[in-house]
Amino acid sequence: MNEELRDKARALGLDRLTEEHLRQFERATTGMERHLRRLPRGMPVAQEPAHVYRAKGEAP
Amino acid sequence: MSGDLAYLGLAEAAELIRAKKLSPVEYVTALLARIERDDAKYNTFIALTPERAMTAARAAEAEIAAGRWRGPFHGVPYALKDIIDVEGVATTAHSKILMGNTARRNAVVTERLEAAGGVLLGKLSTHEFAIGGPSFDLPWPPARNPWSRDHFCGGSSSGSGAGLAAGFFPAALGTDTGGSIRNPASMCGITGMKATYGRVSRRGVAPLAFSLDHIGPMTRTVRDNALMLQVIAAHDPGDPGSADEPVPDYRALLGRDVGGLRIGVIRHFYTRDVAGDPEQVEALDAAVKLLAEAGAEVSEIMLPALQDFSACGQIILAAEAYAVHEQWLKERPEDYGARARERLLAGATLRAVDYLQAVRWRLQLRDRVAAAFADIDLGITASSMDPACRIDDDQALAANYWRQARMPFNVTGQPGLVIPAGFSKSGLPLSMQLVGHPFGEAMLYRVAQFYEDATGWTKRHPPELSD
Repeated sequence: MNEELRDKARALGLDRLTEEHLRQFERATTGMERHLRRLPRGMPVAQEPAHVYRAKGEAP
Repeated sequence: MSGDLAYLGLAEAAELIRAKKLSPVEYVTALLARIERDDAKYNTFIALTPERAMTAARAAEAEIAAGRWRGPFHGVPYALKDIIDVEGVATTAHSKILMGNTARRNAVVTERLEAAGGVLLGKLSTHEFAIGGPSFDLPWPPARNPWSRDHFCGGSSSGSGAGLAAGFFPAALGTDTGGSIRNPASMCGITGMKATYGRVSRRGVAPLAFSLDHIGPMTRTVRDNALMLQVIAAHDPGDPGSADEPVPDYRALLGRDVGGLRIGVIRHFYTRDVAGDPEQVEALDAAVKLLAEAGAEVSEIMLPALQDFSACGQIILAAEAYAVHEQWLKERPEDYGARARERLLAGATLRAVDYLQAVRWRLQLRDRVAAAFADIDLGITASSMDPACRIDDDQALAANYWRQARMPFNVTGQPGLVIPAGFSKSGLPLSMQLVGHPFGEAMLYRVAQFYEDATGWTKRHPPELSD
């Protein structure tokens, strides 16, 4: 397993991943990169994301 | 046991129980015996709760005998996906991580089903934490498809779908973050509703991705589904995503025809964006033709590409799920099954800005879909692109995550109802998905009921289980 991948996992606090886990980590992040390539950039400046935050909080 | 009781629907059972022609105790006893006899073949249950069930059945019987019938769920058996809390019972999420995790209180949906007089039979198999499966490296085996044990039964609400097809219970709850009610509904030939985001409280249910999570009813028939949604739909101020919208009578439109309804067919999802299996496409075309011949005004509508919804949904899902699982992934990665671990690790490297861009994109996608739905009453599209694959076919199982048109409606939050739409030549269920306006579940039930009555697909049951 390449050290770069292990270092990346360690930097994320994932230092207990085994070799098998690291291979899964690599496949998972590669798959996510495919999705990220479709993510539009340059959206209108004022377009806010959907919030669930409410200043008064939720009722109990 | 008589097949009549195994495949008795919720609505039929309710009438018989109300008329005192069916004893809840005998009904529950019969289903428990069937489960005892056959569940080793299908692995639908993580845990049975027979003593609790018999106590509830006896109480229901006594109340009804005394003239206190609570409604259609009174004395009717049901089961819960094992990420839904039941006080005093373990919620495992089908994972070693949560073994021995006894719930201290009921989930809101459990509370509502109990208040309606339902009889809990037990907790059902799921893909681990509702994300990774089917898995053979967990403390419990994966559920199997009653139409063919060698085939995938869908997920993540796998035990819910398989148990309904097996005639183990007439109603179950599943959850759906990227299609987990509708996938097993497609694979097992049953009816599954992902209602509008916020329609059903998620409090007391293990989260996967907060802004995409839904709880919903899974049944064999449309009418049963409407009855179960009626019980669980309510505003819950304790669930931040819960919607304060009035709950209509979901039975109100059942029995009406489809004449004059405007139906938009989202055909590009299963013909252009992804090429659906020919038998599945043929089933969808036949369903659309049937509805058109019955008087519906059918037209094709165009939405953004399926891959856009998939990307947007998967980025949000991965980020939110990682927030839930980060600590366990750091401390106990070996306690996850391989499939869940891999899917959860997808969120580890996401940047905050990527998540937020996806959430902003989500609003654009929602608005584009709303515009396309402006002149129609409902949409029709595929749920799964294929009938069930073999449970040992890793490549086909992986493809199951993208060869589907369910994620778009987790992204938009619209209701999606999956119903059977025929069978493949090899005898596996085919399906279709009806999509509504937000809080438009009653319209979906109307059209689905019409189609069900016209085709009779829900009357078929897995042959190896017929008595």
